[in-house]
Amino acid sequence: MEYGSIEREIYVEASPEVVFEVVSRPEHLREWWPDDAWLEPGPGGVGELIWNGDAPGSAKVMPMTVMESVPPRLFSFRWAYEPGAEPGPSNSFLVTLELVPSGAGTTVRLTETGFREQGWEIAKLEAAYRDHVSGWDWFVPRLGEYVTRLASTP
Amino acid sequence: MSATGVDDAVWSAIGDPIRRRMLDILLAAGPGTATSLSEQLPVTRQAVAKHLQVLGQAGLVHGTTAGREHRYQVDQAQLARAVAQLASVGASWDARLQRIKRIAEAIQRERDA
Repeated sequence: MEYGSIEREIYVEASPEVVFEVVSRPEHLREWWPDDAWLEPGPGGVGELIWNGDAPGSAKVMPMTVMESVPPRLFSFRWAYEPGAEPGPSNSFLVTLELVPSGAGTTVRLTETGFREQGWEIAKLEAAYRDHVSGWDWFVPRLGEYVTRLASTP
Repeated sequence: MSATGVDDAVWSAIGDPIRRRMLDILLAAGPGTATSLSEQLPVTRQAVAKHLQVLGQAGLVHGTTAGREHRYQVDQAQLARAVAQLASVGASWDARLQRIKRIAEAIQRERDA
């Protein structure tokens, strides 16, 4: 079974500078991925992705480390290793977001690698998390709120 | 889809590289025994038998008695289900990228306005 990587591409009608901010800054990250996030900027910067969970004490925290940060072209990070461990190919996923100027916007090329090198715990977590975020039912209203907040911020 | 006990068993069964290779061999060569599998893998027959037990508990292989040994074959339906679950990992990146797109485009529109 060849489950080495995920590759995706999406066109965004926004400049690479704006897209870079959205993919790399924790205040945006927490709007498109976990419930909460913090992250030190720049290569080697460490951070955490936090899912609150349903019950008290059920929060899940995933460490992440910035590998490359070349605004506004490239952002890559490792995540999902054991807290306190050094992230590497044997214990984490490497996510690379390449931003290519394209017409009036940006093509985002995503790769995530690491499935074959480690256990599947994180895939399980993702499957469980998807129950909460599956489909647009959950995140469209949330996005609406976010856009409204952005628009009302001076 | 939820992380039920069955799903957990499937995930941890597929999480081991030797067990993935065993599934590959059984898919390519058809039904096999612990002995025939151990001849193609760098592990003992006893280890293969244990791995087959894990795969069996996850419903990924089924054994039938053949002489003194069990002969195992892949449960295609259960395997397809596991593959679909894996594909959902890709689907969650699709959802994230859609959100990145919407957020970035909202910011861009606001800056252009």
